[in-house]
This record gives sequence, C-alpha cells and structure tokens, in this order.
Amino acid sequence: MDAISLPDADAVIARARLGDPVALEALYRAYATPVYNLSRRICRTTEDAEDILQETFFEVCRSIRNYRGDGSIWGWIRSVASSKALMRLRRNKYRDTDELNDDFAPTRAATPGLRMDLESALARLSETARAVVWLHDVEGYTHEEIAGQMGKTVSFSKSQLARAHTRLRSWLGEESLA
Amino acid sequence: MITHLSMEQLVALRDGDRSEPGHAEAHRHFAGCSRCQVELDRLHQRTARLRALPTLVPAGNEFPAVRQRIAVERRQRNWRTAATVGIAAAATLVFAIIGRDIVHPTRLDAEQQLQSAMSTSQQLEHQLHAWNSDQRVVDGRTAMVVIQLENQIADLDAQLVAAATLQRTARIEHELKLWRQRVGLMNALVDVHLTNASSVGL
Ligand SMILES: [Zn+2]
Repeated sequence: MDAISLPDADAVIARARLGDPVALEALYRAYATPVYNLSRRICRTTEDAEDILQETFFEVCRSIRNYRGDGSIWGWIRSVASSKALMRLRRNKYRDTDELNDDFAPTRAATPGLRMDLESALARLSETARAVVWLHDVEGYTHEEIAGQMGKTVSFSKSQLARAHTRLRSWLGEESLA
Repeated sequence: MITHLSMEQLVALRDGDRSEPGHAEAHRHFAGCSRCQVELDRLHQRTARLRALPTLVPAGNEFPAVRQRIAVERRQRNWRTAATVGIAAAATLVFAIIGRDIVHPTRLDAEQQLQSAMSTSQQLEHQLHAWNSDQRVVDGRTAMVVIQLENQIADLDAQLVAAATLQRTARIEHELKLWRQRVGLMNALVDVHLTNASSVGL
C-alpha cells in the first residue's frame, strides 16, 4: 500500500496547501481507494467506510496547510483515515455494547469440519481485534502507533493481535492440520 | 508435559520483538520444536494471505460532498467575519458622522459612499443567502470559480479587520476601497450562481 504514486506529487501538494480545489481533488483521486480499503477493512459496513472516506478528505482539505512534508503524503493521509476509523469504532461500540464479545459467540467455524474463508473469518473478529490485525500486519503500523491512536497500552495492542490470530487460525480450520 | 509457544510468543518471534519477558527461553524452545516451527510458518502464511486480500474500492465519488462541506464551512466563517467587520465599520461610521460637522466637514462624501458600498454588499449577501447557494448542486468548474471568489472575499474581510487599526481618516478611505472591491466580488458571485442556475435550467 505504500507504493501509491501521485504524478508530480510535490507540485500537487504545494497547490493543495494553497487551497487549490483541482489539486485537492487530485489528492482525493490518488488516495480515495486505499483510504476506503483501510476503512472498510476496519469497519463493519460500507456506509461507515464511505463516511470515513468523506471525513478523512474533509480533514485533509482543512489541514493540509499543517502537513510539513516530513514523511510521505500517504503516511499522513493514512494516519488521518485510521484515526477517523478508530473513532468510529469507539462510537459504534458505545452504541452496540451487546456486540462487544461477538467473536466468542458460536459461529459456523465452530462446527467441526466446516472451514471459513479468510474474508468471513476477518469479518467475524471483534472490531478491535480486526483493526489491530489489519493496521499491524497489513498496513505496517507499530504496536506503539496503534496504542497511541487507540488510547490503549502497547501490551493491549499485542494481546489483541495474538487474539486475532488465534481466532483466525481456528476459524480457517488450521487446527485440524496440526 | 511440553508447553508450546503461545500465539503472543509466536507473533513476537515473527516480528523480531525481543522486549517480551522469556524471549530467550521461547527462542530455545522454538529451535528444537517442529510443531512450533509449523505454527510460525502458518502465521507467516496467514499474514501473507491477509496482505493479498483484494483491495476494496468505493462505489461512488465522495469528493463532491467534501467540496460542499468545505464551501458551507467557508461561507459560515465569512458570515461571522462579515458580521464582525460590519459592526466595527458601522461603529466607525457613527463616530465619523457624529463628529463630522465639528472636525471634518468635507469628508461626508467618502462616509456616505462607504455606507452605500456596505449596504450594497449586504444586500448581495442576503440575495445569495436567500438563493441558498450552499445547498445547490453546481458543476466542478463553477464550484472552482465560486471557491476562488469566496477565497478573495475572505482575503478582503481579513484586510477589513486589519484596517480597524488605521487612523480614522486613512481608515475610511481604505475601507471604502475594500468595500467597493467586496461589492464587485459579491456581484461576480451572484452572477456565477445565477448563470450556473440558468445553464442547468433551474
Ligand atoms: Zn513447541
């Protein structure tokens, strides 16, 4: 995900920082898909992911003046997106406390001999575990960065990652291979 | 009974994380345990599969909505600034008009012209507000022109705020110039909205 190229990136960023609407739209076109993918992998619904996509670029347009150019533009946009997505998770959890422990509930995968595909297994994880495994193992965030964005400790992030892998291993039917 | 590595220890091993307590013992066990070696392979494979999942693509373009929100926010900011500037300018005028016969009998023209420019600008603002321009759909090119005009108006408003520190005589002349420019820009903004509306048959 790091290899996104924006033709003439420096010039586009310089113009975007001056509020040039054409340059801002060019940033959107270059990064909308990875932002959406990250949001959709972390959140449960396409509606949430679309909201986060909009929230992220609204924030990018307002705050690009503050982007100092230290670190890649994608790194900066991605941190805006992940922070919006995690904020959304906190809000949803507050709203849906009953679903907090849904990854402990019996699922299709708990039935012996029935394996889940990876997409379904990922979707079945608790929102926190899914966010941690995605941000760490796919997006390449460190546990320190995840802990910072989630307002949790590093050991919380580590244990959520291990928990995610334990569940995925089980739901993908890998235990029976042992 | 053999205790194999926990998932947390396997992940630490995969990531080269040596900060976990018992790291050295875990490493020793791993070197001699084929079962834990298989588990680490699986962990690597699972991670590779996660990274290889297809990229999910948004169904629609969210940028028009983003642009709309920026325009609404900018307009609200402009209105707040205009209100502040308007009050400050009105206070200047009242003071100037009260004192004019005693101090500066010849500046009546400039003051009256300033008041007229302010009032024209306000009428145009109301026209735009009544037209509800923020809620109307405009094409990309029109949106660009609107944003540029609104940026210029915001710049003028900032200059009007700064003008409050000038000495009174200089201030009225300077403000008159700025308010006239503002009327010009507001006229252009109204034109852009009306032209756009007629071209799309509103
Ligand atoms: Zn072992």
